[in-house]
Amino acid sequence: MRSGSRVAAGIALAMATSVPAAAQSGQPAPAFTAPVISDTGSLHGPRQPIFFRHDVHAGQNRVPCLYCHYSAAISSEPGIPSVQTCAGCHMMVGGSTPTYQAEIKKVRDAWNHKAPPQWVRIHALPGFVHFPHLRHIKALGSESCTTCHGDVGHMVQVYQVAPLTMGWCISCHLQKQVTRDCLVCHY
Amino acid sequence: MTDTTTARPPERATGAMSYDYVTRTVAGTLGNPGRGYYTLLGTAVTLLGIGILCLLFLLRYGLGLAGYSMPTYWAVYITCFVFWVGIAHSGTLISAILFLFRSGWRTAVYRVAEVMTVFAVMTAGLFPLIHIGRQWFFYWLVPYPNERGLWPNFKSPLVWDEFAVGTYFTVSTVFLIMGLIPDIAAVRDVATGWRRKLYAVTALGWRGTNEQWRHYRPAYLYLAALATPLVLSVHSVVSWDFAMAQVPAWHETIFAPYFVAGAIYSGCAMVITLLVPLRKFFQLERIVTIRHFENLAKLCLLTGMIVCYAYCVEYFVAWYGGATPEREAFVYRAVGRFWWAGWTMNVCNAFLPWLLWFKKVRTNISALFVISIFVNVGMWMERFVIIAIHLAGEPFEPFVRAGYNATWADWGIMAGSFGWFFMWFLLFVKNFPAVSVAEVKEELAAPRRGAARHA
Amino acid sequence: MSEGMNRRRFLTVLGATGGGAAALGACGVDPERSQKLIPYLVQPEDQVPGTATWYATTCRECPAGCGLHAKVREGRVIKLEGNPESPINGGRLCARGQAALEGVYNPDRLGDPLARGVQGKLERISWDDALAQLHAKLAAARGRIAFVTGNETGSFGDLVDEWTKAVGATHVTYEPFAFEALREGNRLAFGIDAVPWYDLASARYILSFGADFLDTWLSPVAYQNAFARAHGFTSGRDVTMAKSVFVGPRMFLTGMNADEWVAATPGTEGLLALALAAVIVEERLAPLPADAGRLHELLARHAPAAVAGAVGIDAPAIERLAREFAGAQGGVALAGGMATHYPNGAEIAAAVNILNYVAGAVGKTVRFGPNQGLARGTFRELTDLVTAMEAGKIAVLLVHGANPGHSLTGAFWQAWGKVAYKVSFSSDLDETASAADLVLPDLHPLEQWSDSRPRAGVWALQQPVMQPVAANARPAGDVLLTLAGKSGTFKDYLQTKWRPLAERHAHGKSFEEFWPELLQHGGLYVDVPRQWVRLGPQATELMREAPAPPRFAGEASDLVLIAFPSAALYDGRGANKPWLQELPDPVSKIAWHAWVELHPETAAKWSVTDGDFLLLQSPFGAVRAPVWITPAIRPDVLGVPIGQGHRAYGRYARDRSFNAFDLLPEAPNAYGGRTFAVRVAARTTGEHRFLASSEGDPRGVGAGEDIIKVLPRATADALAPTAHPFAEPAPPAYAAGALAGWAEEQRAGAALGNYAGKQPRWAMAIDLARCTGCSACVTACYAENNLPTVGEELVLRRRQMSWMRIERYWRGGEGRGAGEGGEPLHGVVTPMLCQQCEAAPCEPVCPVFAAYHTPDGLNGQVYNRCVGTRYCANNCPYKVRYFNWYNFAEAGGEWEAWPSPLDWQLNPDVTVREKGVMEKCTFCVQRIRGAQNRARLEDRTVLDGEIVPACAQSCPSEAIVFGDLHDKTSRVAQLAADPRGYHVFESLNTKPGITYLARVVDRGA
Repeated sequence: MRSGSRVAAGIALAMATSVPAAAQSGQPAPAFTAPVISDTGSLHGPRQPIFFRHDVHAGQNRVPCLYCHYSAAISSEPGIPSVQTCAGCHMMVGGSTPTYQAEIKKVRDAWNHKAPPQWVRIHALPGFVHFPHLRHIKALGSESCTTCHGDVGHMVQVYQVAPLTMGWCISCHLQKQVTRDCLVCHY
Repeated sequence: MTDTTTARPPERATGAMSYDYVTRTVAGTLGNPGRGYYTLLGTAVTLLGIGILCLLFLLRYGLGLAGYSMPTYWAVYITCFVFWVGIAHSGTLISAILFLFRSGWRTAVYRVAEVMTVFAVMTAGLFPLIHIGRQWFFYWLVPYPNERGLWPNFKSPLVWDEFAVGTYFTVSTVFLIMGLIPDIAAVRDVATGWRRKLYAVTALGWRGTNEQWRHYRPAYLYLAALATPLVLSVHSVVSWDFAMAQVPAWHETIFAPYFVAGAIYSGCAMVITLLVPLRKFFQLERIVTIRHFENLAKLCLLTGMIVCYAYCVEYFVAWYGGATPEREAFVYRAVGRFWWAGWTMNVCNAFLPWLLWFKKVRTNISALFVISIFVNVGMWMERFVIIAIHLAGEPFEPFVRAGYNATWADWGIMAGSFGWFFMWFLLFVKNFPAVSVAEVKEELAAPRRGAARHA
Repeated sequence: MSEGMNRRRFLTVLGATGGGAAALGACGVDPERSQKLIPYLVQPEDQVPGTATWYATTCRECPAGCGLHAKVREGRVIKLEGNPESPINGGRLCARGQAALEGVYNPDRLGDPLARGVQGKLERISWDDALAQLHAKLAAARGRIAFVTGNETGSFGDLVDEWTKAVGATHVTYEPFAFEALREGNRLAFGIDAVPWYDLASARYILSFGADFLDTWLSPVAYQNAFARAHGFTSGRDVTMAKSVFVGPRMFLTGMNADEWVAATPGTEGLLALALAAVIVEERLAPLPADAGRLHELLARHAPAAVAGAVGIDAPAIERLAREFAGAQGGVALAGGMATHYPNGAEIAAAVNILNYVAGAVGKTVRFGPNQGLARGTFRELTDLVTAMEAGKIAVLLVHGANPGHSLTGAFWQAWGKVAYKVSFSSDLDETASAADLVLPDLHPLEQWSDSRPRAGVWALQQPVMQPVAANARPAGDVLLTLAGKSGTFKDYLQTKWRPLAERHAHGKSFEEFWPELLQHGGLYVDVPRQWVRLGPQATELMREAPAPPRFAGEASDLVLIAFPSAALYDGRGANKPWLQELPDPVSKIAWHAWVELHPETAAKWSVTDGDFLLLQSPFGAVRAPVWITPAIRPDVLGVPIGQGHRAYGRYARDRSFNAFDLLPEAPNAYGGRTFAVRVAARTTGEHRFLASSEGDPRGVGAGEDIIKVLPRATADALAPTAHPFAEPAPPAYAAGALAGWAEEQRAGAALGNYAGKQPRWAMAIDLARCTGCSACVTACYAENNLPTVGEELVLRRRQMSWMRIERYWRGGEGRGAGEGGEPLHGVVTPMLCQQCEAAPCEPVCPVFAAYHTPDGLNGQVYNRCVGTRYCANNCPYKVRYFNWYNFAEAGGEWEAWPSPLDWQLNPDVTVREKGVMEKCTFCVQRIRGAQNRARLEDRTVLDGEIVPACAQSCPSEAIVFGDLHDKTSRVAQLAADPRGYHVFESLNTKPGITYLARVVDRGA
């Protein structure tokens, strides 16, 4: 993403920051309440620069995956939300507990200092595999992210669930009776 | 062999040999090695070292270090593969087929031939692995169940190859060991020191009892029967690597018999090449006699004539068939930029063996030795011409037709292969009987008690 | 031992492969995964991750000014394609244009300003210091300043003019190829100093006097496209295929694609033109313009009989040409290339004008009005400047967009020394920049705002398509504004320049509304009324002396040496781009090196062969050049390409071969241009070098008959729509069953998974009547498919990775080897790429199914499955599979193809292949999958023409058509049924997916 960050640096100055309204609309009583975490050391998955709680956002507050990872349904890459997307809400939403506030402060700092956090990559495919997200979401629906990424909505800290090996891909393609032609993914 | 009426002390024996003489002479070959032996062994190991170094470079930097170029995608390595597989052939022929034909003369030479076979296959087997682009994935050519549902392509001659060569290696190894057992036992009884321990183990408790022999003989016979078809199959399959492709001068129905004959031809030549010095160093003159060499020479002559015929047929069919690319290919072989390679192969393989029609030549050890060397060179060149030269002289696409130059990586690894082969061979002949004690004895009359006493 | 085994490498090997484990670790096709994910701060609203964004801009690689569409992924420009809306190139793009990418990402690009330090070395300094320094120098040197720029037809040129006027400086426009002769010729003939637009598309007869319009002349893409439209052949319908004739001492690419090559004595093209005109007037072959009478005396002196001797063509032939030309009703005669680079170039241009005039072409196919944007800049202006410099009249010299240090060698450098302060705006350390006192690196045209007017009526806009790669470089426009003390950036200046234009054409829209529209379309395109011209007063004064070839400088020998721009490197500006260096020359097929062309007779006389060095000595200099023997040049002429021989500029250009400019005069000739032909003495030096060529062993004339089929015009016209002259006899009955069975088996084997429903059969049609061999497709393929450039040594060892190979064969005439009876010498070309055979020889032999057949009819090549047995390549009769002999992607490796930041250009949709795997063309499968994904998203099927492989997209002559063969309505299906259609090596029954359409040659009656 070398040039990606370059572009960001340039356009950040150019663009006015818009605050998405949807995010702050009052939610109904949550069906799922994210647990309070005292000991983060014992959690699955890699430690991220900001302790982002998918279980709070996607689980408790039911923010749809495609709200942040908006390009997954229309492009081969899901993309990761820009800091602006986070800041859009968190300029208002300050967080209920001190821990939350501490983490949200990091977001605001990132935004103010124009220093995007460096997330640790969890799901990676080798360069010779092409996985078009759009086709899979088209086929399985916008709620189908869990098929490969697991129930992120209940993960305190995201970790890799599926092995993402070829055999694992194939098994699903077999079930679903869809192509197993090599040149569909490998080119 | 003249029959012995009196048992004389072996050392004064004339044409005749006693069991005791055979055992002692053969056991004598296993004595502590001298400087000469170590020099040879040293040379072999050095060559091997060079080869290994080149291989390391190949692994690190890629096949580009070798002389390959478009369109010469196969060259020295595959040439060496076919060459060594070819060498491997006479072994089983002599030991198995001649055994079935009950031709007695084989006994003195078959051990050397067999050993040569096993080590030659060991050498040949390395090359397909060395020559592929991603050597570390060689096991993908082997069928094994996997979650990805991937299998090798059983239509591909390369996959046939690995089975053919693999089978051949197993059978010939087993066959060699079978033959060795009684002999090891024989030398075990005269050996001393660590060797004795070694043989004690490797003899697998052979005591030469009647019972053991009764089981041993048929087992050996069946193995021979099993090995015989392989002699024909292996090199046929190897030849199909080429015959199955549509490259002009590869795509020929004659290839299977042509290659098999060629293989046996080169094999016999190699046996002679190895046997001549061996016989000298180990004073086996009375066990390995002129008669043996002459028979080997006859075998060379026969197969050589077949090869010569095959060469002619190739040219004839290329002309008679009328396919332009095929014609161009053979014009290229004869007068193309690599004409010298084509003619080396013709002279060494097709013209020289005619000398063997003369008994004088057949019975002249040094003449045979020289001819055998030429045949070895010629047979290597034959494979080089078929593989590298005909690829370089691409007849379909004149635009990419181009030269080819082998590099140090080619020669280095080829030298390594010779080092590898001779290292094993030398180690073997010094530690195991290079001549079959048991079977040589079968050719001798049993000693008679009492004759001497009454004289 | 070509790869030297030096100690360092020896140790690394032992280190890396000790125990082997480490070595295996270093291997494997899997590239390292990025461990960190850095999000955008703000998502650019016009960019979606994983989806390309396209920006319209303008190509600045040559004065043609083609429109561009830049493909941007994740903020990086990764591919350049033509802008379909541009009236210049109509969506097509040449090799040089596409290679602009390697200018942006060039590893030798300058990032920071440099100033000559105390030790006389160039050292980094800050912009503030640099500008302060420059300010001081300029203030001191007021009135003694000169500014040299390239051909600037847009606002930047205006800015330079304004500034130079303000500070009393002189502005000199310098292009090594400035077409002075054309302008002067038009002035002589019509009294108008301009370069007209030639309407080749509607021409019915194209008679080119040296103009190499397929390669480097004026606007190659535009003219090639037009040429293909006029000269192309459509079976059954088109009976108006224009005949094309090329006149010149060397058969350029244009000559190879012409129906006839007239090898006139160098410099006599004008005589021939007048002779043709004479015949036309004499025989009243065309309705003569009223004032043509004035030409009588002139033409009388140039009757065919009179000039035949000098020209070297017999009179009847000249008369035949004249009748054909006039009889064609709407022919066009072009003067250009070598013909306009002789000492008498202007007269030749004028003579050709007269031919056009009497034939009634002027105003029809020769259109004044929409003139080329080549109004200014002559070689004389520069030489005058050099004299001024020599005389010490210049204190500060600024250079932008020009590299006189390469094209001028002797006198220029002496004068250069006399200039106190030299400033360069170059973004690479080329010859001029590296000798300057101050270097203010400009941004690449793809990174900055600008515009150009390549042709009257075409205002082409140029917008930044990505953030600058060299972050600290500054647009020269901004710098100039700062120097001028003006406020605002160059973008503002640009917009002020465009406002009046917008008002005229916005149709009431406000500028703010109109501007984005302009950006989307890539500029503003309007029709310009044609301007009618009459014979000028000097027209009759041409060629006073008796018809004779011109005198060339140097009396050393009777050998004339012609120097011509290289197709890939042009005047040398492309020399530091590996794509262009490795692109085989369309005619010679030589890459990475320059050469001297010799006719076989000459070669035999001197007993030299390919690669032997000649020492060429002209009165102006000497070079050592390796010989390339070709039948396509006159025996009394030597040819050398311009563009190599840089002494600076960058790792790919420096110290490579010789600089042909060294041989050329540095004094302007009669018409103020430069002469590119001199007499030379040549002698062998005894040295020899192998020339890196994509062509294998030297072949004589002939060969390749199975690959390239040629039909005489008459035969082609006579073909019935259902005829199939090239069809192979059907396989014998006994074989049919087996073949069908095998093909079915192949297909069944490929049908993995659930393939219910019908599958497409991707296929291609390549029309050899249109393909010119210009090699734009080759570079397009390099850009799209991440093909590594392997360098000269590996090209020599025949390890070039170009999936698209343009094959060139000589036919007919006499040359090396046997000629074909009677036929005149001509060159034929064809693109050779993977044929995607239905019964592919490569597939059954692969032991691991890395090469296999996809259900949609491609020969799949699974890179990560390939183990590299190379059996497939042996078994491929077309030899279109390429092997990764080394790890070309290894950063810092000995064979690294993409030293950073060149790797930024890599296409993220295509795997970067590792060492040890086979690779090949798969019809740009990534584009196929992309289109299929889009279609799936929109619940529709892929439309015909929606998928365009890179080669087909770039092809300036639209020779390549791609589509689904099963869809009988698709263009490719129709072309596949064309009577001219044939398959290469059809007798092998490989059933290729590519149908070639035979070339048609018009040999006249």
